[in-house]
Amino acid sequence: MVKPTKGLLSIGTIAALGVLAACGTSSPGTSSSSGASGIAGCRGTITVATDLPLTGGDRTDGPFPQLAAQLAVTQANAHHLLGGCTLKYISKDDSSVLKNGHDPATGATNIAALATDATVMGVIGPFNSSVALAEIPKVSQAHLALISPSNTSPCLTVVVAVCSDPTIKIDTASLYPGPHTYFRVIATDLQQSEILAHIAAKVLNLTTAYVLDDQEAYGRGLSLLFAKFFTADGGKVVGTASLPGSTTTFTTQVSLAKSEGAKLIFFGGTTGNGCGLVRRDMGSAGLTIPLLGGDGCEDTKFISDANSGANTSEAEGSYATSAPDASKLPSSAAFFSQYASAYSSMAAPYNDGTKEPYTAYGYDAMNVLLQAIRSVLVSNGGQPPADSQTFRDKVVAALRATQYDGALGHTSFDPNGDTLNTGFTLYKVTSGAFAAVNTYAVDASGNVTVKS
Amino acid sequence: MSTNGLSANGEQLSASAPGADAGKVIELREIDVFYGRVNALSKVSLEVRQGEIVALIGSNGAGKTTTLRTISGLISPRSGEVRLFGNSVRGLGAEHIARLGVGHAPEGRRLFSRMTVRENLDMGAYSRNDRTGIRTDLERVFTLFPRLRERASQLAGSLSGGEQQMVAIGRALMSAPKVLLLDEPSLGLAPILVDAIFEVIREINSKGTTILLIEQNALLALKTASRGYVLETGSVALSGPSAELIASPDIQRAYLGM
Amino acid sequence: MSEQSGTPAAPPASFGGADRSGSAMLVDQSGLGSRQARKGGVVSTVGPIFRAANGWVSRYFASLLVIMIVLAIALTGVQHGASLMGEQIKNALVLGAIYALVAIGYTMVYGIIELINFAHGDVFTASGFYAVFIASVLHLDSLATGSFGGLLLALAIVFPLSMLAAGITGVVIEFVAYRRLRDAPRLAPLITAIGVSFLIEGILLVFEGPDNVTTHQASWINGQAFAIGGVSIGYTDLFVVGMALLLMFALGTFVRRTRLGKAMRSTAQDRTAALLCGININRTISATFFIGSALAAAAAIIYSINYGVLKWNIGFHLGIIAFTAAVLGGIGNIVGAGVGGFLIGMIYVFGGSIFGGEWSESLIFAVLVLILTFRPVGLFGVEVTTRA
Repeated sequence: MVKPTKGLLSIGTIAALGVLAACGTSSPGTSSSSGASGIAGCRGTITVATDLPLTGGDRTDGPFPQLAAQLAVTQANAHHLLGGCTLKYISKDDSSVLKNGHDPATGATNIAALATDATVMGVIGPFNSSVALAEIPKVSQAHLALISPSNTSPCLTVVVAVCSDPTIKIDTASLYPGPHTYFRVIATDLQQSEILAHIAAKVLNLTTAYVLDDQEAYGRGLSLLFAKFFTADGGKVVGTASLPGSTTTFTTQVSLAKSEGAKLIFFGGTTGNGCGLVRRDMGSAGLTIPLLGGDGCEDTKFISDANSGANTSEAEGSYATSAPDASKLPSSAAFFSQYASAYSSMAAPYNDGTKEPYTAYGYDAMNVLLQAIRSVLVSNGGQPPADSQTFRDKVVAALRATQYDGALGHTSFDPNGDTLNTGFTLYKVTSGAFAAVNTYAVDASGNVTVKS
Repeated sequence: MSTNGLSANGEQLSASAPGADAGKVIELREIDVFYGRVNALSKVSLEVRQGEIVALIGSNGAGKTTTLRTISGLISPRSGEVRLFGNSVRGLGAEHIARLGVGHAPEGRRLFSRMTVRENLDMGAYSRNDRTGIRTDLERVFTLFPRLRERASQLAGSLSGGEQQMVAIGRALMSAPKVLLLDEPSLGLAPILVDAIFEVIREINSKGTTILLIEQNALLALKTASRGYVLETGSVALSGPSAELIASPDIQRAYLGM
Repeated sequence: MSEQSGTPAAPPASFGGADRSGSAMLVDQSGLGSRQARKGGVVSTVGPIFRAANGWVSRYFASLLVIMIVLAIALTGVQHGASLMGEQIKNALVLGAIYALVAIGYTMVYGIIELINFAHGDVFTASGFYAVFIASVLHLDSLATGSFGGLLLALAIVFPLSMLAAGITGVVIEFVAYRRLRDAPRLAPLITAIGVSFLIEGILLVFEGPDNVTTHQASWINGQAFAIGGVSIGYTDLFVVGMALLLMFALGTFVRRTRLGKAMRSTAQDRTAALLCGININRTISATFFIGSALAAAAAIIYSINYGVLKWNIGFHLGIIAFTAAVLGGIGNIVGAGVGGFLIGMIYVFGGSIFGGEWSESLIFAVLVLILTFRPVGLFGVEVTTRA
């Protein structure tokens, strides 16, 4: 999802992070231990980077995947993952003072600087889909791999009908003037909406839906895709409405939904833009049908908003899907404890990786990149290819062939660079909190199955 | 300007002894008023005594309205002193001066056009608390202007010009003023109405209210008033008893069209 | 804002503002009544046909608007049945009641000092938070939900206290930010008002955070009062509309009958004349800000009892729509603002119901453009004498 800009309230200590990141870590490049046979004699410097929003309104989000990615580099150096070659790490901040957070222009400048450094073989980032739009053409031209831990807009990689919607307007083809070098380790809204539609039509067996969205790229995209897949699954959309995030009352739409005999209200958007308020207004109109939303609705504010009306337990029974909580995956336990010990000296909340949903995604993204670089070295006789562009092309090719088991489970990519690790968990509000019901996965041909 | 037995105002003032304030309702001492950089009044001195009708005449832009606005506190003089009822009113706002007993029917009438006639009259009595007195004065206004009784519940803005003038005077009267400032009460009225209005002015005066009157129709004004002041480009050019002013050839030429 | 000179008459409860006739008024010798050529908007560059149409639209603007709204209501009834029609009317009345109360604050201040007080919407938000604070300090939530008597007591505590606090806020804003700019060019206080708006929002953001804040007051009143034709009317709905009407009636009586109310109206219509009547202008303007802000507080409590949440910036947006309601009714006109609020509620709800929610606000601002074009004095700025 596209993260809404946070307020200016909490006082971060990100200056300290910046210093830490700038120092980076590099191995002496002489040792040849820990099974790096064949690449022990590797000579030269290989650089990896992160480009994430670290300051302003995004300072409570971006630093987590950044620190996780940095941890992956530190660990790689400790284990001499690239043999005798020097592994350097650069951290870039795509925030600007002007935007008080992530800024596409800053991101594009960062990528341009990284692309001219011939030792840079891959970048982890960006955090926001809007920044990705500015960066993807640059990495494509430079043949440079870019792996996002958190971009969920489907239009970055696939042309779907919604991409031409006025609120989204993404010309996917024009993003790639050169080779397709963009990857992501997070499932997209396309996949999420297929799962949402399946849940509505096949799991909950609700045949008619009233579909709302918050007029923003994330919410509008999710709603349009949901409507499309819901119809394909045999459901009927009885009405739609697209309301700005400033909307404070949805009574008009709730009355319409009631009158149209909707069995479900779907909200594409974020809690900040009214997801919980829709549920509240359903309560005051006496409309006792389920509300379903995407990951933008799955938070505690949804519950307090929904319960703010006359019925103080109105949130009960609402549904939302979200990527499974990475901190609860069995595969991630080791990572989070390593994160905690590596950053125990940092100020809260940065000392606890579970405080942000995308931490583990940053870690796996960097590891996927490092694995790909290593495999290129191995297949190239233990040395980096002499020509930097050839090296980058080979890294991208190696990324395509990724089969990596990490904190998020098994990651591999489809031809568009989208991860095939697509779990979404259905949550239902029970006793005042979102409780997991089931986790669903969707394959490349759109079949939704329950994931064990 | 020559004097013809009339005295320039400044001379009169310098002749008056400090203790002679008693009968003076209004006294201006060498008032200077500026609008931005424009000197609207310079060294204007003037006095109005208890029970008089005093006329202020002069051509357009001579400073007549500015003089009235200065007296009622809508404008502060840059220098000089305004004394009302024997006391300096320096620093007092218009609303306080109104409460001292100065009723002002201003230029252009300035009615509360979206309030009824009755409400306009009530607003005139805004600073009074004596209910019976207010009722008596309302009755008096309705007696002076029987038309207003008929129109009492009509919006002031919907009245004719003459009726509006009656409301303006009536509103000023409702504050039970000791002195009434009237700014062009005849402006834009049909001749028959002008006579009626001046009849009322004399009647008000006969009941003890002092009146300072601005009037385009200098002859009518001077005939009504006991004394007059002639303003020319912000200064007092002449002053004296009305009969002498009417007789002055300069006045006849300049203001009376003779 | 608009050409509003020379509108000598309007319904008695009107407050001032649009009218600055005074010395500009021409008087005819015939005694038939004053007249002034009306500036009807876009007349200078267009042809006679359009001019005729413009005059016609201008004259019947109120009727046209009401006809459109009635048609929209009827269309909803025909397309979706009486039950949806009834529900949407209820929704519109509830929304309109809140807009109306906020609009009155805009119109009073505009009427008296010709300032679009952009901070008014934020005073609404702030006073909503005052009410939350008062309710939590005095433990009114448990009192209000305990018994009916407790509810009445809680309301009788929270309304006056919040209105008092909001009124003081308004008076302070006027004193600190607007008073010394009263004779400055019109743009200076306008920009100051926007600045005050940002200041209040900033303060609220710091203290209340960026997210919705649950007020709990929605739990004070609940349950269904009765149902008509399948439309369930809750006690909250009755409370919202009833309270708004009661407050508007009280304000109307206050402005029409009391000394201070009359002072406010006369100051709004002609400040110079008010001064000459012995009215203390500063005190009267302070009173206007006090009452306008107190009504915003009442609107905010009603809002949080109906919706249960407040957010640091809701007031600005709500305020802009309420301001539109004030212009629709004729800025400076209290009755106009009240009726305008309900009309805007109707346009918002039925516009959204028929064309889709994304069009609700577009329609409201389209109406604003139309009114400024064809009838800048608003629905109630009626010029009696030019009707002839």
